[in-house]
Amino acid sequence: MLNIVIDGKKVKAQEGSTVLENIQALKIEIPTLCHHKELTPFGACRLCSVEVKTNGTWQLATSCNTPVEGGMEIATASDKAKESRKAAAQLLYYKYPETKAVKEIAQKLGVEVSPEEAEGHDCLLCGLCVRTCSEIVGVSALTFQDRGRGRDIDEPKIIFDPNVCIGCGACAYVCPTGYVKMETDGDRRIIWDKVFKMTPCPVCGRYFAPEDQLKYISKTTGVPFSELATCVDCR
Amino acid sequence: MSLVLTLHRIRCLRMNKVAFSSWNGKVVDNRNGKAAKDVAVNLPVPGGKVTAMMGWGGLVANDSKADIPSLTVGYLKEARKISCGECSVCMIGIDRLLDIIGQMADGKGTKAYLSEMQAIVKQVSANSKCSFGQSALYPVLDAVKYYKADFAALITGEKKLNGKEYRSTVTAPCMDACPAGLDIPGYIELIKNNRFEESLSLIRQDCVLPGVIGRTCTHPCEDACVRKDIDESLSIRLLKRAAADFDLAQGGKPFGVPADQKEEKVAIIGAGPAGLAAACQLRLKGYGVTIFESLPHAGGMAAVGIPDYRLPADILNHEIDLIKRMGVEIKLNTKIEKLSIKDLKKQGYSSLFVAVGAHQGNRIGVEDEDAGYEGFVDGVKFLRDMNLGTAIEPASKVMIVGGGNVALDCARSCVRLGFKKAEIIYRRSRAEMPASDEEIEGALEEGVSIRFLAVPVKIIAKSGTVTGAECIKMKLGKPDESGRRRPVPVKGSEFTVKTDMIIAAIGQRPELPAMDKKVGTTAWGTIEADPVTLATQMDGVFAGGDCVTGPATLIEALDMGNRAAEGIDAYLNGNTPAEQVSFAGVDLAKQRGRGLVVKGPAADVAFLDPKERAGGFEEVEGGLCAVDATHEAQRCLRCYRVVVWE
Repeated sequence: MLNIVIDGKKVKAQEGSTVLENIQALKIEIPTLCHHKELTPFGACRLCSVEVKTNGTWQLATSCNTPVEGGMEIATASDKAKESRKAAAQLLYYKYPETKAVKEIAQKLGVEVSPEEAEGHDCLLCGLCVRTCSEIVGVSALTFQDRGRGRDIDEPKIIFDPNVCIGCGACAYVCPTGYVKMETDGDRRIIWDKVFKMTPCPVCGRYFAPEDQLKYISKTTGVPFSELATCVDCR
Repeated sequence: MSLVLTLHRIRCLRMNKVAFSSWNGKVVDNRNGKAAKDVAVNLPVPGGKVTAMMGWGGLVANDSKADIPSLTVGYLKEARKISCGECSVCMIGIDRLLDIIGQMADGKGTKAYLSEMQAIVKQVSANSKCSFGQSALYPVLDAVKYYKADFAALITGEKKLNGKEYRSTVTAPCMDACPAGLDIPGYIELIKNNRFEESLSLIRQDCVLPGVIGRTCTHPCEDACVRKDIDESLSIRLLKRAAADFDLAQGGKPFGVPADQKEEKVAIIGAGPAGLAAACQLRLKGYGVTIFESLPHAGGMAAVGIPDYRLPADILNHEIDLIKRMGVEIKLNTKIEKLSIKDLKKQGYSSLFVAVGAHQGNRIGVEDEDAGYEGFVDGVKFLRDMNLGTAIEPASKVMIVGGGNVALDCARSCVRLGFKKAEIIYRRSRAEMPASDEEIEGALEEGVSIRFLAVPVKIIAKSGTVTGAECIKMKLGKPDESGRRRPVPVKGSEFTVKTDMIIAAIGQRPELPAMDKKVGTTAWGTIEADPVTLATQMDGVFAGGDCVTGPATLIEALDMGNRAAEGIDAYLNGNTPAEQVSFAGVDLAKQRGRGLVVKGPAADVAFLDPKERAGGFEEVEGGLCAVDATHEAQRCLRCYRVVVWE
């Protein structure tokens, strides 16, 4: 265990834990859009900034991807930290004014927002879908396409590879804005514009999972497809 | 570094009197005719008249009437192309700044916009994820602060934006250190995002032998890496190798299809890195290319100078094969004894690139060196014979003279060939040894011993066969022109070493074909070539690689091949090639404000157990697997630096 200080309070922190985890353990509220406790931190939204003191100097740092160090001091509510979080929210709201998740956080952090209902579903490039697909599902059907020298990309985006997607829908589940859409209608599921064939359970007849997903699970676990083809309720 | 490359890298303009400068936070303002202070600003832009420039280090105006608001827009537009989008504040902040200036110019702005701009710059710099976002916007802060009236004039409509396209370039400390200027942050970023194929394509634009360079490069990029002073440099060389290995595992993607086929053919002498790079780049431009190679194998020093345990032959052969598959013809065992441009023209070649390398060992200056003793051999010949498959009978003891990579390659090869004892003798100390640290450590692990501060003065032989050497101890005196302390013999310290073989590895020089006198050569026996175009004094003949620089690295030779292709293309089209941008003298690592960097060591790779190395030539160093490579790539701080100027 490491000794750290959060907002003046002495705390024991697990080695390898992040600043955000320790802040959350104290029930201090810090906004996040790109964070998920099961996924590698990405530091995309910049909303979770706090001030940390290491080697004698205070510096801003995104709490989600900063691991704690012994003796670290953390200030979650300093003027600098609050201004930084508000500025990040302000920029996000400038770019995505129609997205509810953004608007709510911006409002909470003191950004002046329009009273009208936000009805947009923008992609914030938070990378939750990309990380879920590679780290949880293990297929990497989604990759980040960055801008960079000589790449000639006007707007960075998430690229979908239909050849490896298994149609599991985890990306749609984790998406904070509803940008990733999934529609399941009887024997068909459409996700990222790709149509998947759903498998009916031989017992109850319910279309419960895409065939590609069951094939993938069969391949990775060695469980025969025929066993997986029965839905969990009827097994 | 060679003379020619030094010349090539100092092509930057030094501005002494400026109207305004905030470069690296040092503000000099001469706009109102105040006492004109001189300021030394190494402008990282090519020669010629520069009115104003904006870059990561600040803002510099040579003319007090320079249109700074328009320059700021030009700068932000370029910065926008580099801002990756992985963190919100940098990507959106740049868009917002452009939007604000645009609104000002449309007459919709208020003075509050100026303070909003300043606030955005400060917040983006403090909260960006990478080094680029943390540093890129500072010059905008300077523009708003010191050219407030000019921005205010936009709001009132007194001034308009000029909408100009500014000249611009991008660099980074690693890119600038790379002799071939590879887009290192770019290819690392693609690996990070699991886009290995695109990463390799980007590498190949400037480095046609990625698997070879990824194994053998002396990686000056890693010495320049900003992380070096924080924890450990990125393993840039291994990341390049990872991209190449990934491609090879997928079967090896061919090079792109040449552009429209051109009528002209180019002849190249020498299939080393310089020749191969020039061939590949010329072929991509559509020229017909024939390489004449005197040896039975293509690859130059990569084939016959570097042993297999460092660079397996199949890696090199695969990469040469890809170049051949583009339609480059390689004529092996074809030595050009006499160079006649007339003959080449007759054979249909419009231009010639001489890249014969430096394959002749230097004399070590001892008595009886030329007596033709059995057991005395020069290092490059030893390696060449070994790599070409000549059987070498292991002796019981070998002495290798020299402290460079060739000496190390010889010693480590001897261990593998079954020599019982391999000893390097070097006239200076460990600190002055030019061989790379990895090589020295590898050799020591394998049981090679190094005798420092000693040099042989006489070969001892019995009936024509080497039996030993008379040596003398040295001490270090005053530094010589290379900056290293000069070794001085210690009087009366002579001693005898028994040895069955002596390998002389103290440098190489080129063996040039007989040439028309019009091609100038230097006192070192190298060819004189223009530092930018690589043109020689003979019309249509270009030269590059070790035969111009003297023995240098593979990546330097490769870079000269790339430049020769540009030079030849320009020559055949009657143009002059675009001027190179250099950042020499500018401290690229210097950055205004840097965020908290989470420390973590560089990725490790497995090495072959030293006990298993003797007796075979199996590759010693392992590569990074794709997962480790993506993790290592995430350590990159992305220190891109943008500069625009007019």
